[in-house]
Amino acid sequence: MKQFWATFCKDLLVLSRDRTGLLVLFFMPAVLVLVVSLVQNNILETTGASGMRVLFVDEDGDMVAAKVRERLGAVDSLKLVERVGDAPLTEATARRLVAKGDYQFGIVIPAGASRIFRVRSRQQARNAFGKKQRNASQVATEPMPQLLVFFDPTVQGIFRTAVTGSLSQVLLGIETEEKGQELSRALNTVLAARSRGFLMGGTILGEKELHRLLVVDSLLSVREQPASDRPDRPMPNAVQQNVPAWALFGMFFIVVPLSGALLRERQEGTLLRLRTLPVSYGVILLGKIAAFALVCMVQFGLMLAVGKFLLPLFGTPVLDLHGRLPSLCLLALCAALAATGFGLLVGTAARSFEQASMFGAVSVVVAAALGGVMVPVYVMPREMQAISAFSPLSWGLDGFLEIFVRGEGLSAVADNIFFLLAFFVVTLGLSWWVFHRQGRTGC
Amino acid sequence: MTVRPPGGQGESASEIVAATGLVYRYPGSAQPAVVDLSLSVPEGEVFGLLGPNGAGKTTTIAMLTTLLRPAGGSLRVCGVDLLRKPHQVRRLIGLVPQDVALYPTLTVRENLRYFGRLFGMGGKDLNRRVEECLDLVGLRDHGALRIETCSGGMKRRANLAAGIVHRPRLLFLDEPTVGIDPQSRNTILENLARLRQQGMTLIYTTHHMEEAQQLCSRLAIIDGGRVIAAGLPEELIAAGEGCRNLEDLFLQLTGRQLRD
Repeated sequence: MKQFWATFCKDLLVLSRDRTGLLVLFFMPAVLVLVVSLVQNNILETTGASGMRVLFVDEDGDMVAAKVRERLGAVDSLKLVERVGDAPLTEATARRLVAKGDYQFGIVIPAGASRIFRVRSRQQARNAFGKKQRNASQVATEPMPQLLVFFDPTVQGIFRTAVTGSLSQVLLGIETEEKGQELSRALNTVLAARSRGFLMGGTILGEKELHRLLVVDSLLSVREQPASDRPDRPMPNAVQQNVPAWALFGMFFIVVPLSGALLRERQEGTLLRLRTLPVSYGVILLGKIAAFALVCMVQFGLMLAVGKFLLPLFGTPVLDLHGRLPSLCLLALCAALAATGFGLLVGTAARSFEQASMFGAVSVVVAAALGGVMVPVYVMPREMQAISAFSPLSWGLDGFLEIFVRGEGLSAVADNIFFLLAFFVVTLGLSWWVFHRQGRTGC
Repeated sequence: MTVRPPGGQGESASEIVAATGLVYRYPGSAQPAVVDLSLSVPEGEVFGLLGPNGAGKTTTIAMLTTLLRPAGGSLRVCGVDLLRKPHQVRRLIGLVPQDVALYPTLTVRENLRYFGRLFGMGGKDLNRRVEECLDLVGLRDHGALRIETCSGGMKRRANLAAGIVHRPRLLFLDEPTVGIDPQSRNTILENLARLRQQGMTLIYTTHHMEEAQQLCSRLAIIDGGRVIAAGLPEELIAAGEGCRNLEDLFLQLTGRQLRD
């Protein structure tokens, strides 16, 4: 036991003297969690809540532009910008600003859009009741000007879909409303003609009633809520999803300093000295595992503190642990052991510091990508989803999301704990085997 | 070939290393690194193990310090069967490797304490012993220095101190004076002589023949994995035709061609 504690304290002391190592272990993951959560928080807001600025060019100056302005302005995810500097926007200015990347989207309501739209709607309504206009006006023959949406080419498809989808929905509403009014007028006119003046136009189905029927009294609506029927579980948000994901990612980066420490011991000859001592190398390894697992746990605690205290200062929701701290700590400990086990294996098998640091870092990034840290597993191709099931980061992340997002307890993450511990045991066993093989060959 | 202490009475109570017919072949290697090597080292001696590069010195030391397990032969160290009880042997031996096998970011004192604790030492006994070792190697005033900030000579002396912190009966030194200035080298040689006076047995490898002649009370020259000469330095030199010193004898026995 004395040897275990000696190694435990020695490794903590060595780590504490390595400023770059401390930066990698604590500061960088904290920055990662902070930045990614803030960025993702903004992404979630732009796809669902608020924030995306859209240049709005009104060349129409009439009903269509007014209604588009009113209704798009009511969409939380969009913020319409009609003036940049002192002058009102023109299409050319808007295109230039969007092309430069200053804004992501521009919408142009062309001149005459409302005027031609009204005439066309009336024409279509009258045609519907068989009243072909013999002398169609010049306006009715003009081509309907199209509304323009242009976007920065760097904008991802999901955001283009969000903006064009919102605009299409607004236009459909405007068209339905306008055509409904014209149909109402046409119907009243036809009925008045057939009743030979007994029924006056507009008295059977008034335009106000029709507007209320088509626009105000909507029967079908959508309400968003989590699948869980428990009201105490909050809506998932960027903080709940990102803090555990990136904290786990940071914890697995213990592979780099741990494998580096093992390689240094081998290269500097201390391992040689250790192997001639009357203490099992297993005890020394356990001391090392305990020290690095403790570092992982401190790192995890720091990440939780960032989510709980620092991120809210930047306007994000507060990280909610759902009162599951013991379950979280147990799962984090298992993830820490899995990470240190992997670090031991990399440090034992690698032949140079460059090999260990490159392979260690890249393999963690790959495991994180496969595990759903960067892109959710459910959007991956089926084959990648199958591979994802073998990533220790996937087991850890699934477990954390069960607790953080679904608010589940220990029983729900038992499988994750088992897989992480099994991974630790396997990597420890492999490290032991490689170490003894190297001892036999003198490598 | 067997090297026996003067008198040639065979394994005696004062024999600290008794190796017979040791064989070791590295996996994948066509030639064994050590073939039928036998050694007998009396307790209290400074025993020099000399040989050109690739002669089998390091492999022999690795077997004697439990790092490699011989494929054949028998080996007793400090009266313990090393092949059966390596763990017990490790309590009685110390190793000063060729590299400075210390943690660079820890201080000299922290390094010594760590290795002492690994031997089960602790408390006042460990602190006292650490200070004794620092005194012995002349680093008492530099115990708080980190290894990475020490000079080459100080690192070598700290390396020696780490090998003796647990008071071993038998100390292996693998080229402990390589790459240091004459002053530090001289200090180390004085330290080793003092350790011998304290009753510690030293098994010592070096390429400095003058150093070996000055320090070693007995030596063996190894080449091709075998002991090719062994005995008291002055007797070996006298037996060599036209040899004025150990270096002449060494070159006569191992040849002048380069070894890579």
